[in-house]
Amino acid sequence: MRRLAFAAAAIAVAAGAGFWLLTGPDRLEASEIADVEAGDATRGETVFWAGGCASCHAAPGADGEARKELGGGLELATEFGTFVAPNISSHPEDGIGAWSEEDFLNAMMRGVSPDGRHYYPAFPYTSYARMDPQDVADLFAFMKTLPAVEGEAGEHKLGFPFNIRRGLGLWKALHLDSDHVLTLPANAPEELLRGRYLVEGPGHCGECHSPRDFSGGIKRDEWLAGAVSAEGDGVVPNITPGEGGIGSWSQSDIAYYLESGFTPDFDSVGGAMVSVQKNMAQLDDADRQAIAAYLKAVEARPDGFPSSR
Amino acid sequence: MRTLILSIFAVSLSATAVTAADDPVAARKLLMQSAAAAAGISGGMMKGDIDYNPAIAKSAIATLNAVSHTYGDYFPEGSSEGETTASPKIWEDGEGWQAALEKFQADTSAAAEASGKDGPADLAAFQQAVGPVLGNCKSCHENFRVQKN
Repeated sequence: MRRLAFAAAAIAVAAGAGFWLLTGPDRLEASEIADVEAGDATRGETVFWAGGCASCHAAPGADGEARKELGGGLELATEFGTFVAPNISSHPEDGIGAWSEEDFLNAMMRGVSPDGRHYYPAFPYTSYARMDPQDVADLFAFMKTLPAVEGEAGEHKLGFPFNIRRGLGLWKALHLDSDHVLTLPANAPEELLRGRYLVEGPGHCGECHSPRDFSGGIKRDEWLAGAVSAEGDGVVPNITPGEGGIGSWSQSDIAYYLESGFTPDFDSVGGAMVSVQKNMAQLDDADRQAIAAYLKAVEARPDGFPSSR
Repeated sequence: MRTLILSIFAVSLSATAVTAADDPVAARKLLMQSAAAAAGISGGMMKGDIDYNPAIAKSAIATLNAVSHTYGDYFPEGSSEGETTASPKIWEDGEGWQAALEKFQADTSAAAEASGKDGPADLAAFQQAVGPVLGNCKSCHENFRVQKN
């Protein structure tokens, strides 16, 4: 009996150690960021709008210059619990003003905090992992020029087991994949390659426009097919050329929508996309055209949400 | 004859009124469709797809002005059910909804005034008048419509 108890204890310890080993934070290798030069704040502003930082980290409903005040506070109420967007302003204590560039690169591309904890993937590092590290460094340089906002946003409100951050190590092992979703030949048109980069990387369009499996991983075989909103309020539309999607929109229709917020039949953008469209309106027209070119090239799929929604 | 015409007119008027009162969802959808059509003409002229014409511009502004002043009457309590994308927030946040309606009305009234008797003189004047009006579409849909596009 004592031997049995001992064996059980040994198995538990081994399982615990295994969990601990498997779930440790995976930081960027020095070689992966060795070529990164000092960040350029002017280039970083484009990355800032492409990356949509303001949509979650500016105060809800902020407009104009207030969208550059990144004090956080937006709440995302999902089936896993409520996530609260943190303060990422340049404030040294309440924001990220004291971070190093390497800290920022690890947060964006590996979802790891400066003190080695995992971030929840409500922060879309799963997409940002596809970014060019130089763009991330430029973004950091730009964000340092933005106002310091005082005050910490609240804590996430999550139930068991989602409140165990360490468990995210397993989630990342399953779902953090920096490969492209759309395979393109190396000699594909420059515009299309740029569009893929913007959509799959900084733009993180797939995070809301693709359905997820039971564990919260994106279903790659339903990429951009639309999904029930993570907050349960309506649907995020299918943006592939498939049935229910935007196949009837021309490339210039898509670019115009991103610029003006009007669909081809002059319905307007709504819901959480309003803030995203404001970001897209800040980009060069060439970048909006590139996103549109990608959305015309992506595989056509039927709606990724039930038709009753 | 005159009585007949008048009574037909009265019947058709009351028929319309009954429909709207019975089915506020249908009524507000018709109003939004006419606003979308007016926005479409406006956007088409601003994009250069349609040649600028002051009379057409005036008509688009007048449509938006009529919609902004009537639309809000078709959201009675209980009309959040059925084939509608109206957000429950309309009824939960009555003050915010009212403020959004009043902003829409103020902007269309200003545009109607600016368009004068013959419509805005040129495209630049039209853009200046209608631009703030069109901004209301997304600011209201951001908060008061369930997500769809």
